[in-house]
Amino acid sequence: MKMLEKLSALEDAMNMLSSNARVIFVGQNVVYPGAATFKALAGVPEAQRVEFPVAEDMQMGFCIGLSLLGYIPVCIYPRFDFLVLAMNQLVNHLDKLRTASQDAWKPGVIIRTRVGAKRPLDAGPQHTQDHTVALCSMFQSVKVVSIYSDYQAFATYSGALDRAERGYSSVVVEAM
Amino acid sequence: MKSLPTYTPGQLIAFEKEIEAVFLAGKIRAPVHFSGGNEQQLIDIFSDIKPEDWVLSTWRSHYHALLKGVDPTWLRQEIIQGRSMYVHSKEHRFLTSSIAGGILPIGLGLAQALEWKNRPDHVWCFVGDMTARMGILHECLSYAEGHGMPLTVVIEDNGLSTNTPTGKTWGSWDAASVHEGRLKTINTYIMYYRYERTMPHVGAGQWVDFEPVGLV
Repeated sequence: MKMLEKLSALEDAMNMLSSNARVIFVGQNVVYPGAATFKALAGVPEAQRVEFPVAEDMQMGFCIGLSLLGYIPVCIYPRFDFLVLAMNQLVNHLDKLRTASQDAWKPGVIIRTRVGAKRPLDAGPQHTQDHTVALCSMFQSVKVVSIYSDYQAFATYSGALDRAERGYSSVVVEAM
Repeated sequence: MKSLPTYTPGQLIAFEKEIEAVFLAGKIRAPVHFSGGNEQQLIDIFSDIKPEDWVLSTWRSHYHALLKGVDPTWLRQEIIQGRSMYVHSKEHRFLTSSIAGGILPIGLGLAQALEWKNRPDHVWCFVGDMTARMGILHECLSYAEGHGMPLTVVIEDNGLSTNTPTGKTWGSWDAASVHEGRLKTINTYIMYYRYERTMPHVGAGQWVDFEPVGLV
């Protein structure tokens, strides 16, 4: 029952995001099932989904490029452990482009990731890490928000969308 | 958009020489990566680039910026103010990164967006020979080619990465033949040229005396 509530809250949040025509969902298991992040996208139109190859840093940079031409990418990494592979584009580019360019570029990207569950199955040290604190210490402009309960999902993603529309990026960590 | 300006090799060299004099006078408090030795190659390449196109470059971007239409007076001021490594112009669709390979996936995303919007513009990414061996280049080219995207990567091969011989680090002693034999023909998304750089990796090859900050 609790799992269903969580899914419903995230699904509502993803549906809310997809109601904005500029929003595009990019990542692994966005079109095809296989990760826990997939099911919440059930209500997202196929036209707003891009199934991406496993190329984490390229995916982040790709989303930056999309955002510079008016799209609002929701850049999905099914586990926080995978987001670590995108640190160059996330820390050196997405976070620094505004200051490096004196606000010429204002990329607004929403990064969606989750901390892998340890119950009922423990996926071990490469699939269950939460690097939120370390990530926060590396950012100048990107905001990190963790969701610890279902009722935070909609408001958190609404806030991330608002920031993206103003040219600021957010990392939303689903840690429920 | 206005058509792109035309430069002669001498005009490009003169721009850098003027900046070099300011740098050697200790007036620029940031690294400057001067261009030099590839004037004619770039003039030829930019004859195919339209004003509406996007040009993405690196920490060594002065020539690219000038040829893309960035105002030389504005550029000179940016460099003097310490932003040689961070030349960006939204008006001229000119973006740089000072991280090797950093522009490539951003260029890929721009190319995807242009395609989705049915715009005829093209994305040009200028990289060095070390970046040409990086995984990110091969990922981006694979995606661009697989999806038929309007993206071209221009490999500017001077055989060196800072002062490290690129080919030697990868186990090949002749970087030029490796690139010309392999990369030049790998697919239509790559342009390649070889040149001998006339300036050091960074700076002008001379010690510069800076006045201590805060002392009169």
